Amino acid sequence: MVNFTVDEIRVMMDKKRNIRNMSVIAHVDHGKSTLTDSLVSKAGIIASARAGETRFTDTRKDEQERCITIKSTAISMYFELDDKDLVFITNPDQRDKGEKGFLINLIDSPGHVDFSSEVTAALRVTDGALVVVDCVSGVCVQTETVLRQAIAERIKPVLFMNKMDRALLELQLEAEELYQTFQRIVENVNVIIATYSDDSGPMGEVRVDPSKGSVGFGSGLHGWAFTLKQFAEMYAEKFKIDVVKLMKRLWGENFFNAKTKKWSKQKEDDNKRSFCMYVLDPIYKVFDSIMNYKKEEAANLMLKLNIELKAEDKDKDGKALLKVVMRSWLPAGEALLQMIAIHLPSPVVAQKYRMEMLYEGPLDDEAAIGVKNCDPNAPLMMYISKMVPTSDKGRFYAFGRVFSGKVATGMKARIMGPNYVPGKKEDLYEKAIQRTILMMGRYVEAIEDVPSGNICGLVGVDQFLVKTGTITTFKDAHNMRVMKFSVSPVVRVAVEPKNPADLPKLVEGLKRLAKSDPMVQCIIEESGEHIIAGAGELHLEICLKDLEEDHACIPLKKSDPVVSYRETVSEESDQMCLSKSPNKHNRLFMKAQPMPDGLAEDIDGGEVNPRDEFKARARYLGEKYEYDVTEARKIWAFGPDGTGPNLLLDCTKGVQYLNEIKDSVVAGFQWATKEGVLAEENMRGVRFNIYDVTLHTDAIHRGGGQIIPTTRRCLYACILTAQPRLMEPVYLCEIQCPEVAVGGIYGVLNRRRGHVFEEMQVAGTPMFVVKAFLPVNESFGFTADLRSNTGGQAFPQCVFDHWQVLPGDPLDASTKPYIVVQETRKRKGLKEGLPDLTQYLDKL
Amino acid sequence: MFFIIGLGLGEAEDITVKGLEIVKKAERVYLEVYTSILTVGKEALEQFYGRNLIIADRDLVEQGAHEILQDANSKDIALLVVGDPFGATTHTDLVLRAREAGITCKIIHNASILNAVGCCGLQLYSFGETVSIPYWSESWQPDSFYDKIAGNRRRGLHTLCLLDIRVKEPTLESLTKKRKEYQPPRFMSVSEAAGQLLEIISRRHRDHKEFAYTGTTLCVGVARVGSDTQQILACTLQEMKDADLGPPLHSLIIAGHLHPLEVEYLTQFSESKEKLLQIAKTS
Repeated sequence: MVNFTVDEIRVMMDKKRNIRNMSVIAHVDHGKSTLTDSLVSKAGIIASARAGETRFTDTRKDEQERCITIKSTAISMYFELDDKDLVFITNPDQRDKGEKGFLINLIDSPGHVDFSSEVTAALRVTDGALVVVDCVSGVCVQTETVLRQAIAERIKPVLFMNKMDRALLELQLEAEELYQTFQRIVENVNVIIATYSDDSGPMGEVRVDPSKGSVGFGSGLHGWAFTLKQFAEMYAEKFKIDVVKLMKRLWGENFFNAKTKKWSKQKEDDNKRSFCMYVLDPIYKVFDSIMNYKKEEAANLMLKLNIELKAEDKDKDGKALLKVVMRSWLPAGEALLQMIAIHLPSPVVAQKYRMEMLYEGPLDDEAAIGVKNCDPNAPLMMYISKMVPTSDKGRFYAFGRVFSGKVATGMKARIMGPNYVPGKKEDLYEKAIQRTILMMGRYVEAIEDVPSGNICGLVGVDQFLVKTGTITTFKDAHNMRVMKFSVSPVVRVAVEPKNPADLPKLVEGLKRLAKSDPMVQCIIEESGEHIIAGAGELHLEICLKDLEEDHACIPLKKSDPVVSYRETVSEESDQMCLSKSPNKHNRLFMKAQPMPDGLAEDIDGGEVNPRDEFKARARYLGEKYEYDVTEARKIWAFGPDGTGPNLLLDCTKGVQYLNEIKDSVVAGFQWATKEGVLAEENMRGVRFNIYDVTLHTDAIHRGGGQIIPTTRRCLYACILTAQPRLMEPVYLCEIQCPEVAVGGIYGVLNRRRGHVFEEMQVAGTPMFVVKAFLPVNESFGFTADLRSNTGGQAFPQCVFDHWQVLPGDPLDASTKPYIVVQETRKRKGLKEGLPDLTQYLDKL
Repeated sequence: MFFIIGLGLGEAEDITVKGLEIVKKAERVYLEVYTSILTVGKEALEQFYGRNLIIADRDLVEQGAHEILQDANSKDIALLVVGDPFGATTHTDLVLRAREAGITCKIIHNASILNAVGCCGLQLYSFGETVSIPYWSESWQPDSFYDKIAGNRRRGLHTLCLLDIRVKEPTLESLTKKRKEYQPPRFMSVSEAAGQLLEIISRRHRDHKEFAYTGTTLCVGVARVGSDTQQILACTLQEMKDADLGPPLHSLIIAGHLHPLEVEYLTQFSESKEKLLQIAKTS
């Protein structure tokens, strides 16, 4: 029953004002995929009777079995808006004149925090987001995480309150209570939005507002939904009030007295909140009459509401009947699609304000202008956000969004990886695009070409890109900015084939795994160990399963999961550290010191970054962290990888030829911060100052071969003399449970070095929410442990939150950090014992 | 006792008699191969000395000094250095370390490019600071030696430019890894050096009105000094860019103020006497 064809879609693709690219985001189990089914059923790919049961976008077998979404899935849909609804679209860039149809490209993304990198990838290619919140549980940790990310990417949100059926049937909430619940969720969401954006920003008003129709209510499972617009339309005629005005009346502090027929702003004895009276009451009545088998009343209601039952539905009763009735009265697809078409931005609108966030190059070059105007005749600019496995083993579709120009089958384009630097040849390929395709849930369809503003897949690009990249036809184009993930790969396992002869298959499999997941890291240690690093236990479990069954197809031996640590310092180096180059003619004098609290996080978050204008950055560092502004102007590098949370500062005075060795010193700094001295873990939160440098008079004797290793040795000496410390990753853990289970949670957390910092009851429900910090290292098996100690009633969600110093001196053999260092060194095949300062520190 | 013995510039026979006698009776003899190379190989030397030599690369000399110096208290150990031990490349650090370990050192001198460059007829007295011209990489293109050349030229002094040699240098990528990979051996020719020198002035075009040298400046290229195939060419810097002086090693001299006798001597290395006189006059 597909009611649109690829040709129809292709025609729509040119009408860029009628396109909506959107993602569905939410906390795990808030019902995204189920809700998405309602949309798919409206666009007609699956029969509407089965909406809510199929989880169309969960394409993998394990997704269907576990009932969670693991990979994000895209589908394109076609939807026509009625004439009466078209007036709600006032911005001329939101609709082509005379075109009622809308092309909606929807990406359903996973809600589990372990897979939030999939959300990041989805957000990048969309302009709007449908934020789904379970109205029983309210705003949860992952809702906040994804919403924050969406705002940072300049994605406009609309809100949907899901699972109203549970509120009515299980919790039996009173109308006023339910209104208060809704009101609280809207407020919570708006607080998050306001924290990261304000209405005067480039996106305009971002807040969600039920009275404007940007908040929906309903039940994805039962397939019904509404916004205030639907109800306002029902009553507009009766009240003789304009729909838009009436919508405002139906929310907030508006009360109606049925006897005096008067509106009021205050609650009085004989008036009632309009939302309860006109919106909730009819719904409550339908529920009451059907669930309590009041046949006559139900029949009356249906007559009033113009609901005609089909012959086969007439015999149904109870829940089944309720579903049919509600679905015919308030079809979810209709309400949601209206919300999407009216409130989410078209690419034309969105790319105007998103361009500066998306493009790394000058904001006035051809590519930038093309992206800004969403111009299909400009040079091609496409961002590949992820790789999707094909039925052909080992091959992938490159999935992404065309921001400018057109991508076509057979066209020659520049494929630029994330390490591409304009003017250089690294990470750059010029190849033909084998095929462009449209991706629709479980199916793909070939398509001739795809113009700007649309989402599509490419065949044949996967060999040239690892995970993400930019595709362009403009030879001076810079990269589109790489995505920033909200989670980091802090949990790792080592794998090896059970049969050593299978090693080549493992290596090949790891390559494929690295491609198929936006965040997983596959690393080969110098000891020859193969490491897979992921966001959490579940993420790793899925990765390992994929590796074993799909990518490598060999039996594997897996180590216990271990976490990554960071190396830092707690004091300033107790002496000026000197290291001499191998030829002894060059000398570096440096010291390390810890960064002030918050700076490392500021660097992680991008508030302080290597691309900043250096004077503004120095001023910021001076004001916020009391750094000496003259010194802060001379930041040579961030590291590791050029962006990490460690700084190298030039504090020298009048050293000749210093700039000739800068590159080499920076290279040594990148190396040392990537592989710290204690256990070759990344460094974090360390500031290195170069105080003096003595150089050989001749350039040949101060090249990279002399300076790079010397810098590393000197930095290592700095660390060892500055009270080194280890940092461990810590999860923010949110646990939902009934009151009786709270005691059990405390017990489990205490045993695992966790500490609770917030405990509260979810208003209007008997559920409690406990928030705690839990070291990632203690989180293995946490879920199972928690369940067994609370009779299966507590469900944790853990998301990486921060790094925390592991107390104790790693150089002291009696401490825990010492043991961690030794274990890590052993695992990495490094010399056991402690690093020897005399190896790094030279004497004058 | 620890001996550092200069091998001179060209062939195996260039070693001094004094040096040869030590080589013959020493316990271990190392051949330093990274700062310069002889025109003949290690085998030719071994045959001539009638004994085995141990190759000492950069890693061994710079980081494995204790290995070289082992037993030097009781036995004779020799390190063979092309040219003079304290010539173009100084091995002072090794001597210092030997001293620290209480080992007596003895240096056997020999000819170095620093004095043999006199073969082109320019007076050693009028040479200024010596510079090296390193191979540029994409990201590392130092040009500080320009200022030294400028200083020399201002005072009318000649500049001897030693040209980069890469016998066994780790690649830039592998410098930040534990396992080292080495670049293929490379030796800079006078034409490559002239190219880089010209590149520097074209880069400084904007901020300098007067240059230390130009494309018409007289310079002298010398190749394989001290060997039978020695080659010398006197021409302009621009012409030097297209000159081919054959196999390594090469050195380049940028002439300063010229004495008439120097000019006269140089004419034999030029295409024609008239041409050289012309260049000498204008440069």
